Amino acid sequence: MTMALTAGVMAYAGGFRVSLQGVKQLAMAHTSAHAEDASVAFFNPAGISFIPSKLSVVAGGFGVSNQITFQNTSTLQQTETDNPLGTPIYAAVAYKVLDKLSVGFSFSTPFGSTIEWPTGWEGAEMVERLELKSYFFQPMLSVKLAPWASFGASYIYAKGKVDWTKRVTQLGGSLNLLDDEATGHGFGFGFYFQPDSQWDVSVAYRSPVDMKAENGKATFNVSQALFPNIGLAATGGVDTFKATLPLVDEITLGATYKVTPKWLLSADFNYHGWERYNKLTLDFANAPVGNQVSDPTVLVAPKNFKNAKTFRLGTQYMINDMIAARAGWYYDESPYSDENFIPETPSFDNYVVTAGVGLKFNKLGVDLSGAYAMPQSRKVSNAYNSFYGQAKAKVFYFGLGLSYNAF
Amino acid sequence: MKKIFLSSIAASLLLMSCKTDFDNDTQDVVVTSGDANFSKYIALGNSLTSGYRDNALYIDGQNESYPNMMATQMKLAGGGEFVQPLMADNNGGLVLGTTVIQGTKLFIESFANGSPVLKNVATAPTTNVATKLTGTINNMGVPGAKSFHLVAPGYGNIAGIQPGTANPYYVRFATSNTSTVAADAAAQKPTFFSLWIGNNDVLSYATNGGTNSTTVGNVTTYSTATVQTGTDVTTYRSNDISSPTLVAGAIKGVLDGLKAAGSTQGVIANIPYVTSIPFFTTVPYNPLTPAALGANITALNTSLYGPLKQALTAFGAGSRINLLSSTSANPVLIRDTSLSNLSVQLTAALTPSLGAATAAAFGQIYGQARQATAEDYILLTASSVIATVNPAAPAAINVNGVSFPLADQNVLTKTEAANVKTAVDAYNLQIANLATAYGLAFVNANAKMTELNSMSGIQFNGVKYTAKFVTGGTFSLDGVHLTGRGYALIANEFLKAINSKYRSTLPMVNPNSYTGVKFP
Repeated sequence: MTMALTAGVMAYAGGFRVSLQGVKQLAMAHTSAHAEDASVAFFNPAGISFIPSKLSVVAGGFGVSNQITFQNTSTLQQTETDNPLGTPIYAAVAYKVLDKLSVGFSFSTPFGSTIEWPTGWEGAEMVERLELKSYFFQPMLSVKLAPWASFGASYIYAKGKVDWTKRVTQLGGSLNLLDDEATGHGFGFGFYFQPDSQWDVSVAYRSPVDMKAENGKATFNVSQALFPNIGLAATGGVDTFKATLPLVDEITLGATYKVTPKWLLSADFNYHGWERYNKLTLDFANAPVGNQVSDPTVLVAPKNFKNAKTFRLGTQYMINDMIAARAGWYYDESPYSDENFIPETPSFDNYVVTAGVGLKFNKLGVDLSGAYAMPQSRKVSNAYNSFYGQAKAKVFYFGLGLSYNAF
Repeated sequence: MKKIFLSSIAASLLLMSCKTDFDNDTQDVVVTSGDANFSKYIALGNSLTSGYRDNALYIDGQNESYPNMMATQMKLAGGGEFVQPLMADNNGGLVLGTTVIQGTKLFIESFANGSPVLKNVATAPTTNVATKLTGTINNMGVPGAKSFHLVAPGYGNIAGIQPGTANPYYVRFATSNTSTVAADAAAQKPTFFSLWIGNNDVLSYATNGGTNSTTVGNVTTYSTATVQTGTDVTTYRSNDISSPTLVAGAIKGVLDGLKAAGSTQGVIANIPYVTSIPFFTTVPYNPLTPAALGANITALNTSLYGPLKQALTAFGAGSRINLLSSTSANPVLIRDTSLSNLSVQLTAALTPSLGAATAAAFGQIYGQARQATAEDYILLTASSVIATVNPAAPAAINVNGVSFPLADQNVLTKTEAANVKTAVDAYNLQIANLATAYGLAFVNANAKMTELNSMSGIQFNGVKYTAKFVTGGTFSLDGVHLTGRGYALIANEFLKAINSKYRSTLPMVNPNSYTGVKFP
């Protein structure tokens, strides 16, 4: 007994990477070369050496509203997701132990989201609901190599959760895959330069993190009479599974130029290693619901992601000592072709405009930002799943961040 | 500079943002009928057209008939109401007076060793054949109808049910005791029709293993069915293969009748190779695994297969039987009436060792016996026969398919299967020609079924459908008729053919949204 299980995870743009790790940064198209406070820690560990205060603490959060629409041009059916508001959060602290040595810690949720299609919608065999969460814990060190240059490195400990419900049409029921104990490890490093008072240059690399689910729970909500047929008579339709989901690596090149003391321009280039997600393998302990001849309990679903780029342009203007006005624009490339579109991780080529204000009250900074995305509607022609049609999305973000440069 | 920077951003936004929406929103699409007029659609055919499944006709099944799905799409382009001769209940079966003449539908009671245990719903049918349906009947699919039945007067006469000249399903809505299905259809003056007929002209031969049966009292005897070449249907027995000339003539008769009534727009489908359906492909030719036979292998080889092979070899027919293997799966023993009968020779050869009486019995039993090959089809219904004890056989050799050959009616042999294929090919040639001659849309149902039966099957939105019994999703529990999902795949083929021929834009249906096999 086989069935077509298929696989993936979710996001709004650019695979399931959610580039929302700094409210101030988002206002300027989420560019990276900003070392005013500890929010630089996620972007580049080397950046913490250039924070103007000895101790800096930041925290922030976002709201992500997104809705995906799929239309089948052959049946004329149209379906919209009912996704809950996404809430990526972050926090960081940086402390100068010595003039040349800084330590920091960053907490972030750089990958994840929740997609919710209507129960029994036409792509239900692939996904009805998928919740993906990741938490990155990154201790880091940064050393000043020269007054104008630093090197920093971080260790990444990641925890994650996947909760995925899909139909198993041929068994007349549904399947839930749940794991909230997946973990992974990685690292990051970077160089940060301030060659003169006008320039900030940031070069950073963050490694891939393979999230390994060792003991996931697979629950088959199907007729009990079928349990023996799927090898789950003894467990009441519950199986375990193993899977690895790659959270891919990222290269970031960023620069900020102060045109005047009040006005700065920033640009970033990101390169995401999505090729690592070329397939998803689900290895069930007992249920023969896979597609491998050699082992029917192993399901391999092609993903065929490709490496993707992001271009960012941002600017900030200090209206006075207290108020900064910010704006930005970025283009984020979808990591797969129309032939590999999957409804569990709908991705689009995405143009985004951003804006925000920053308020300074002495040591405390309050930042507000918002972004409006213009994901490009696209064709869907996934032959592997015989899933054809068109997809579009509506996305906007808003964020509130606090920074405290203590002393 | 800031202004330039911002205005260039604004300009690029204007350029880009226009592509965020769909070029054509499906909610704004107007479905058109093209050159066709769908205002009165009539479907003609057999059980497949009626929505028959699980070996019965019942309301839920009828609602998921492919003509009903098509009519729903046609309503988007000027189509009218589509009335089906709905049964009285959801269990199926028919009563004539107080006699149950058709049983209720099959359901899966449980699974045993991975195989479904099928039972008939234990309820008395409530659909009374005598209750006449009047007025418009759009779905005129008649379960059991062969091509020539559509033009047979009296096929709807209630008095003809017992003698076998009438069909109870047609009796329910026939306009008179002498009417024909074709004439009743034409009289409704359809603006559009579908016709899928001819399956039963070969199917009953196949599902009965190429035999006809006669029941006298409680005793049923089987005889080899005929591949008919003549067109005199009075010489046909119920499981004979109809001659292609007769089939073509009957279909032409239906089309001419419709044409005379002004109905010239329609769609016609050809006949699938019936051997691709689960009824023929579920039971393997070699189900006798060493594990299943166990210690009996040696005994069977020594006392039965060995001596038989030796004797048969002496008569130049040694290839009929090989010794049972203790390492690989063994074929069942079958009776193939196309083999030359070696009863006399076997009796003579076995008499010295077995004695005259036993030898005579052996000779009679194994005279046309051989092991099945991959080219034979063991019928789904034989699964309840294989490895059971045959009470009519001598005690030592009474295990069906193991020591006693499976009867002819349990197997569609290679020769019989070839007869089926030859007939289907001939029918399909004629149907394609008629489609052209009458300017009709044409559905290659045979190609679709072949695709379904392939290893990769047919996929739709991530669901993989195959022709596998129960688990394939497309065939109902009788192994012959489709599920709602299977009928939806067929409906889409009809809709595509119609759109292509008549330049209409009827949308496809989503097979996943219909029902499949129901699990307990």
